[in-house]
Amino acid sequence: MDPMFSTAALASAEKMINAALVYDPASRIALAALEPQVLAIHITSPDTKVFVLPGVEGLELHGNYEGEVTTQLQGTLPALLGLIKSDRLNLKDSGVQLFGSTSFLAELQKILKNVDIDWEEMLSQVFGDIIGHQGAELIRSKLSWTKDRVTNIQRLTSEFLTEELRVLPSKPELAFFNAQVDELKLGADRVKARIEHILARIARQGSEPHNRNKNS
Amino acid sequence: MSEQKTTHFGFEQVAVEKKAERVAGVFHSVAAKYDVMNDLMSAGIHRLWKRFTIEASGVRAGHKVLDIAGGTGDLSYQFAKLVGKDGQVILADINSSMLNVGRDRLIDRGVAGNIQFAQTDAQYLPFPDNTFDCITIAFGLRNVTDKDLALRSMLRVLKPGGRLLVLEFSKPQHTALEKVYDTYSFKLLPLIGKLVTNDADSYRYLAESIRMHPDQETLKDMMKNAGFVNAEFTNMTGGIVALHKGIKP
Repeated sequence: MDPMFSTAALASAEKMINAALVYDPASRIALAALEPQVLAIHITSPDTKVFVLPGVEGLELHGNYEGEVTTQLQGTLPALLGLIKSDRLNLKDSGVQLFGSTSFLAELQKILKNVDIDWEEMLSQVFGDIIGHQGAELIRSKLSWTKDRVTNIQRLTSEFLTEELRVLPSKPELAFFNAQVDELKLGADRVKARIEHILARIARQGSEPHNRNKNS
Repeated sequence: MSEQKTTHFGFEQVAVEKKAERVAGVFHSVAAKYDVMNDLMSAGIHRLWKRFTIEASGVRAGHKVLDIAGGTGDLSYQFAKLVGKDGQVILADINSSMLNVGRDRLIDRGVAGNIQFAQTDAQYLPFPDNTFDCITIAFGLRNVTDKDLALRSMLRVLKPGGRLLVLEFSKPQHTALEKVYDTYSFKLLPLIGKLVTNDADSYRYLAESIRMHPDQETLKDMMKNAGFVNAEFTNMTGGIVALHKGIKP
């Protein structure tokens, strides 16, 4: 495949992200503070790597980078997308592996989740102050309404599945179950260690008379 | 009677010592509108070709980079960011008009401290042996009179393990694309040149010089003959442009 396709895709994505970040100076300053750390995203199928370099101008996306990588995320495309969409704080059972610094990833994730675009500034530059202000107010109210609705829908769906249909366990039930599994695993590990210890002792005792006979 | 040595200037044969002068004339003429023309001629794709070159360079903090025929400084700007304050970039061009445009542009963009400018001939690079981690020459090699001499000069100033990247127009890999490209180069390109810079001849030279430039395999062999190892190339946009890479052993 012509390498221009992937280069063009990365260039477009980078341009879109940085065009939005122009109107969020706080995030740009926070990203600049992460320089020169590098995040590598390794998609295993199809085998592709994308390198994310935060800097003064926002984010740079590279298809090839030979310097030191701070953090690498590795997984299939669906697994990586699932991780981005979810609010989860750990990678357990996510199908994604992490190598390197977790703090850099957490910092980057925090900045990108808190991106707050100054719509007023963006629209004012195109339409002038008055229309820009009114447009920005409209966008802000619509975004806020959408965010509330999404949160409500998520909460109601969750309650319906756990409380009404009882097809899914609630969060406390799941936490209790996880704790029990952890305790069981610890218990099993202790039993295993104990058995190994006893077997070793038996083996030692079995060999001692034989050795003594041999010596006499 | 001694025979005068000649070389090509587009489709024309000129005396070897005259080529540099003729090429200089072309670039003095187009320097002011070089970037606008590049965008117009390639529909902005030259930015992607250069972006791919930057990524393939492997340049990182602390490296020393020589950008030959760097012209208006597109590559040098990115390299200056990559090498950081501990690295060094030298933007070199044989043509003073191009170099002036590049220097002004980089200063206007706030690039300073880790970049220097040198008016030099790629055939006789005025740098000590084993100086650079990476050398690039983008859309410049075809204008050089003695390409083999230039490649050997680049090899000399590269550090062992350093890499040379040659980004240059090349031979399209599909017959249909080649026909469309020929029509575009010889009919449309001089017309755009006339409309934008009032200089159809310079852009006719551009099209002709591309046809006279060695194709992918020939340039790869030239790099090997000059002493580079692991010489390879990547075709871009169907082979209209190719990026050749070679390592100094």
